[in-house]
Amino acid sequence: MRKRTLRRGLVGFWWLTLTFLYLPLAVVVLFSFNAANSAATFTGISLRWYRQLLGNEQIVSAFVNSMILAITSSAIALVIGSLIGYGMYRHRHRKLGWLIVLIYLPIVLPDIVFGISEMVFFVRIYDLTGLFRPGLVTMIIAHVTFQIPFVGLIVYSRFVGLDPTLFEAAKDLYAAPVKRVIHFMLPTIKPALISAFFLSFTLSVDDFVISFFTAGPESATLPIYIWGAIKKGVSPEINAIAALMIGAVAIAAFLSLLFSQRRRT
Amino acid sequence: MKETTRSQSVDSPTERTASSTGDPVRQPSSIEMQGLHKRFGRDTVALNGVDLTIEAGEFFTLLGPSGCGKTTLLRILAGLEEPDDGRLAIGDRDITEAPPHKRSVNTVFQSYALFPHLSVRENLAFGLKMQGLAAAERDARVARVAEFIQLGDLVDRRVDQLSGGQRQRIALARALVCEPDVLLLDEPLSALDAGLRGQLQVELLRIQKRLGMTFVFVTHDQQEAMVMSDRIAVLNGGIIQQVGPPREVYERPANAFVARFMGHDNLYPITARDGDRLTTSLGELTAEAAGEGGLLLIRPETLDLLPGEVAGENHLSATVSERLYRGSHAEYRLEIGDTTLQATLNNRGRHLPEMGERVTVVVAPVDLVTLSE
Repeated sequence: MRKRTLRRGLVGFWWLTLTFLYLPLAVVVLFSFNAANSAATFTGISLRWYRQLLGNEQIVSAFVNSMILAITSSAIALVIGSLIGYGMYRHRHRKLGWLIVLIYLPIVLPDIVFGISEMVFFVRIYDLTGLFRPGLVTMIIAHVTFQIPFVGLIVYSRFVGLDPTLFEAAKDLYAAPVKRVIHFMLPTIKPALISAFFLSFTLSVDDFVISFFTAGPESATLPIYIWGAIKKGVSPEINAIAALMIGAVAIAAFLSLLFSQRRRT
Repeated sequence: MKETTRSQSVDSPTERTASSTGDPVRQPSSIEMQGLHKRFGRDTVALNGVDLTIEAGEFFTLLGPSGCGKTTLLRILAGLEEPDDGRLAIGDRDITEAPPHKRSVNTVFQSYALFPHLSVRENLAFGLKMQGLAAAERDARVARVAEFIQLGDLVDRRVDQLSGGQRQRIALARALVCEPDVLLLDEPLSALDAGLRGQLQVELLRIQKRLGMTFVFVTHDQQEAMVMSDRIAVLNGGIIQQVGPPREVYERPANAFVARFMGHDNLYPITARDGDRLTTSLGELTAEAAGEGGLLLIRPETLDLLPGEVAGENHLSATVSERLYRGSHAEYRLEIGDTTLQATLNNRGRHLPEMGERVTVVVAPVDLVTLSE
């Protein structure tokens, strides 16, 4: 009897947690369809805010920046991170404790520390050489640096989950080094690569702090635009942007999860 | 070495299209090992000077306990380990330095190592594809090997839909389809249950005899080694203890290690010797052509047990202290003074002595073998 009460209590708590997490998001999405001008009343469903978004050049350019930044940085991080992941796997038997810690560090470092360091670094280089003027390029570099550890760890864990004799079987079956990469390694870790790409993508789209410190005047992304816009008050337009971002990130996160859970034999 | 040298080094696969797995068309290859040494780290000596010749077309087994060096030797043959010292040749070609993908050697791995991202068919064709065979040629070879190993519809399954025994057969087919000079098998049956294991032993043996291919088989199971092999090499501590056909290794082990590893417990130090008269803790026994060693081996199945006390040459009085009835035969533990002796008696419907019974053990002089410690 008591066990059942406890169970019901726990189930209730589960729903409470979900509500707590998702209610604010639901409100934002709901009000993005609001026909009224005010955020206080909901008068009916309309797509007027979404239409208004498309008419706002600043928003469209911020969206384009966000996409260029996310796709480019994810692609670069995928290449570098995979190599690191493979390197970690190949040398996993050596005592690399502190090196592994160095890989993890950017994950736990506060974004603001990371962002400020990057900014100081780029400004300094710019002062000295005239290269790396704050803009999309510096943002891409900054994003790649925080995406790499995630890619590395995903790829590493995929390799660790494999039967190590598979590498030997590939050699044994006449695969020369380059063919081993093309016909064995890449296809085997493909799900991990796709998963890592989408995770990097969501991390990039989500990021505000690091982008804020490394952006230039013309390279505002959506989060930076929102930050600027809400100083003037939360307009229903912001709700619409937020709703779109929630949708995009949710899809990317779902794809990342889907591919990371592909059967590993 | 560049890609261009490969067609020669892998025995130009395209020229061998007619044979495939079906009939023993091509000449099998011998293997020559000279002074192979291998150590891991500073302290672990895996191989300590191995000289061994494996004849062409032989089913050869490397037998020994774990850590004896048998797997290291197999991996050196495959090219997955490099020897610190020594030479290795297949046929008349020295392959000591050749990387695994440039040797006409294929391995059936203990874990089977089937590629999870490929279908069974693609797994089978992998080696041929890496050698650069055209798709049509690959399909034909895969179809032939599938028929030869009787894979049936397994070919169209996914790897994760296969049972252990099926994986084992796919792994074998994947290696055989490449028609290597030498096939290496690393404890391929150890993960299977006893029934399936026996069945696959017979199948493997049949395949080897039909192809006439040189097989090098690694196992720690002496029964399996005796069933399968033309010849066995027993290894311990990175050194070959004995090489010979199963009967020789079992019946005339070279030393106490080989004897114990082959399952012999009846070993007795010889305390005195007068020609063929040997004195041990069992008493005096007459041997015929027993050899020089200081240790006497009595195989349990060569003994006969007579009820009661019977006098005669090589007759020993004993008491039954344990009897394990196994249907086809019975295993005995006998006490002769303070010494224990094991005996095995076939169940031919005769009297099988009971626990505590006084019996006379009869040993034929020809069955006594001596060996060194």
